[in-house]
Amino acid sequence: MEFRELLNAPGPILLDGGMGTMLQAKGLGIGEAPELAALEHPDWILDIHRAYVEAGTQILCANTFGANREKLARTSKTPDEVIPPSIALAKEAAAGRALVALDIGPIGQLLEPTGLLPFEEAVNLFKEEVRAGVKAGADLVMIETVADLQEARAALLAVKETCDLPVMVTMTYEERGRTFLGCDPASAALTLEGMGADAIGVNCSLGPREMPPLVEELTRWSTLPISIKPNAGLPDPSGSGYDISAQEFAESMAQLTELGVKFYGGCCGTTPEYIALLAKALKGRTIREIPRSVPAAVCSGTRTVPIDRVRVIGERINPTGKKAMKEALKRDNIDYMLGQALEQTEAGADILDVNVGLPEIDEADMMVRVVKAVQGVTDAPLQLDSTRPEVLEPALRIYCGKAIVNSVNGDEETMAAILPLVKKYGASVVGLTLDENGIPKSTQARMDIAHRILDRALSYGIRREDVYIDCLTLTVSAEQEGAAQTLEALRRVHSELGLKTVLGVSNISFGLPARPLVNQNFLTMAMTCGLDLPIINPNVDAMMAAVRSYHLLMNIDTDARDFIAAYGDVQVSTSITAASRPASAAPAAGGTRDLGELVKAGLKGEAGEAARALLETREPLDVVDNVLIPALDQVGADFEAGRVFLPQLIQAAGAAQAAFEVIRARLSGQPGQEAGKGPIVLATVKGDIHDIGKNIVKVLLENYGYTVIDLGRDVPPEAVVQAAQKHQAPLVGLSALMTTTLGSMADTIALLRQEKVPCKVVVGGAVLTPDYAQQIGADFYARDAKESVDVARQVIG
Amino acid sequence: MNLSISELNLDEVLRYMGCPPDQADERLRTLARQACGQILREARPRWAWRCFDVTAEPEGVRLSCGLLLPGQDLKRHLEGCRRAALFCATLGVQTDSFIRRAQSVDMLHGLALDCAADAAVEQVCDQIETELQGQFPGCFFPFRYSPGYGDLPLTLQNDLLDLLDAPRRVGLTASASHILIPRKSVTAILGVADQPIAQSVRSCLSCPAHAGCMYRKSGGHCGIS
Repeated sequence: MEFRELLNAPGPILLDGGMGTMLQAKGLGIGEAPELAALEHPDWILDIHRAYVEAGTQILCANTFGANREKLARTSKTPDEVIPPSIALAKEAAAGRALVALDIGPIGQLLEPTGLLPFEEAVNLFKEEVRAGVKAGADLVMIETVADLQEARAALLAVKETCDLPVMVTMTYEERGRTFLGCDPASAALTLEGMGADAIGVNCSLGPREMPPLVEELTRWSTLPISIKPNAGLPDPSGSGYDISAQEFAESMAQLTELGVKFYGGCCGTTPEYIALLAKALKGRTIREIPRSVPAAVCSGTRTVPIDRVRVIGERINPTGKKAMKEALKRDNIDYMLGQALEQTEAGADILDVNVGLPEIDEADMMVRVVKAVQGVTDAPLQLDSTRPEVLEPALRIYCGKAIVNSVNGDEETMAAILPLVKKYGASVVGLTLDENGIPKSTQARMDIAHRILDRALSYGIRREDVYIDCLTLTVSAEQEGAAQTLEALRRVHSELGLKTVLGVSNISFGLPARPLVNQNFLTMAMTCGLDLPIINPNVDAMMAAVRSYHLLMNIDTDARDFIAAYGDVQVSTSITAASRPASAAPAAGGTRDLGELVKAGLKGEAGEAARALLETREPLDVVDNVLIPALDQVGADFEAGRVFLPQLIQAAGAAQAAFEVIRARLSGQPGQEAGKGPIVLATVKGDIHDIGKNIVKVLLENYGYTVIDLGRDVPPEAVVQAAQKHQAPLVGLSALMTTTLGSMADTIALLRQEKVPCKVVVGGAVLTPDYAQQIGADFYARDAKESVDVARQVIG
Repeated sequence: MNLSISELNLDEVLRYMGCPPDQADERLRTLARQACGQILREARPRWAWRCFDVTAEPEGVRLSCGLLLPGQDLKRHLEGCRRAALFCATLGVQTDSFIRRAQSVDMLHGLALDCAADAAVEQVCDQIETELQGQFPGCFFPFRYSPGYGDLPLTLQNDLLDLLDAPRRVGLTASASHILIPRKSVTAILGVADQPIAQSVRSCLSCPAHAGCMYRKSGGHCGIS
């Protein structure tokens, strides 16, 4: 019997029950590695497996749950030594009456960006297990007890890239319906089905009574067979037991046939008795057939966005026509992009477009870094915006969830390069209605291309719901007949093909006055033609207002809840102001407070205004040198003297930053003036993730006018060297907070010296002392953020 | 026991932020108070524990499961204790990402949240300590002791979490460099003595961070007397 035959036969499939708790009952000590039992107590394993087969188990999980290299490290055994005998024992016990699964559990360390384990390292650890399991003759792979969707993805990818065995993936949830890492069943279902799992489900954490809502969510978002392996009830914190008897377990589990569950088994605390009673309870029950159709949706690891109404894609993370974004990309200023991401989600974007295409940077590398960083701070799903497969693939690999790929077009070569990636990583894809001959004028020609893209996508196994069509906005000032054609194509794709549609809206008004008016009206027209996914700037309230109004008027925003929440307490003015009139009136003379005082008091908003006023009469650099810097110096001196404290220091820096931003905006018109001093490379060293101190240092340095290249946390020595060389930084700042990571700091300095990077090094961090700093070859030790500024002044000026 | 953290100690949060409470103006207090409220909403405290017999050996203390906790300081600390309760606690990854998000928008807000979360972990540990003391009626307890105190190495974290099955039970892990993730987490050992023991209190002088302590440097203290 093969897995697929078993799956196609009607009726429930019986799995096994707990292994770890059974081994403990046999005498395995607390803290001993259960995976070694195959070598040390093969008789125990045989007994347990045989008891499950007797109870009716049709798929046995081999005792390989923690047999990854990381977890086995403390036993001095390798996966190759542990996995083959474990599989062999399961096969012996099965004796042809049950299939044998290679059981894969979590590695035990959290993956980036939550933890430190790099994604590819996780994939490789899992591949090692899969290779050993395949060689030993496993019939399938069961990935279990995963709390991090990213880790489930890594394991699934490892299986898919190593063998053709069927693979089941089950995750472990808490009572509120999410995993420890916040993953919900919808996001797990969409992501794992997209990446080719054969069955998905739930195991561990909860008891059978808590299963129904999780099962219902999974069946709503996936068409795959569902597997359920709960614990024997809920555990207590001392780890001594679970609260449900075998009979109760069997009865609750049998109810799940009504919800369409295919695989039934048990996890911690369940025994062969539980499985035997479960077999009895399931006997004669048929699994209810529930028709399932999964709507179009995208997700991150923790949030699903169904495309069941207009969903806004934020366009701001894109250098095209954005000077500040270009600068940020050139200077590796990932924080700038994080700011853009958060600002847009705050304004109401549901999905964020990420485009980092700039000729002078390594687009693939930057794409990966930005995707990781953005996923670390927001749960919005992302649209990966590039047409280069070599950029898209690494980004799709590390993106956690179901992304949108933007884009392919009707050109066969492009589709052949990108659609297989879309399929492999389970993404959705935007198809542009253009091809190697350019953008067709006629609506029919655009429809033909949309057809072609859909056909190709389907032929690669991509779901119809996952193909979104972009009918392309043409600038109306250049081709006035274009807008109507776009709208007509949009209407036909929506109604004739029934596909979801995407449109970049802002281009429509290029070269026209009063662009917001044109954009807003075009957006409204497009939505009435069936636009689902406008790519817009959500920070422009007129655009969000159009979307909210549309939802209100089309009865999608039930009881006008969202509309009232957004506009219940605002007054809308529709008057249009002549462009020549200044945006804000000059402050009344004598009414502004002194900028220096405002910085010292840490008043952000007021400091920005005061800087604007001051620039009416004084030169920008004069304001910086004679107002801002002296004020910061005063605060710094007060800090050193213990008259003000860290919070006030940060507040003052924030106020100075607001003033600097105003000044920078003024300077950006003057070439050669905008570059800051430095640059200074900052990093929290490899292995360390405590970065709040480094971030405070960064804020302060920036407000003294230094350009900071912030490499983030857990930064390998090579990356520090590379950045220092690339940006020709005269000063490198390293931070470490743990005694266990001071070694990395020493390694980083050693490598800088070995590579003869002409920079000074300043170090800081709680466990560091001036002596140790000197010992590891640092040029300076900074006790706090203020001292870092003093060092920068000494080195750079 | 289900953990429930209630109002946090505002003065403690301000001290963690590097500001003596009597020097904090209303604006800063409001900011810290709001941060406390946000952490109370975001945090999902979870914990797990297990009790072991302990024996003193020349190199340190051995737990009945076989694990050696190396070093002399813990051994001294557990003098008179026949058993020890090992526990771990975490506020969960949601707290980490909430703080990270705030930091990339407003550093001061990020700092306040970070410090409020530290105060929350302390409160969680206090609650657990009280709960555990209740589990051993008539017994006596030195203060809880964590890796990183004295000569008890941080490299123990992974083994301690293993003993508690912490990754599976509460979602708490340690990185390859022995950092607890989620970040706002603690592992600790609470000695259990059948007879009265010399009363040891957590004190500033006996604190392992005494030498480089930023609170002491600024003339204050972290809240431990």
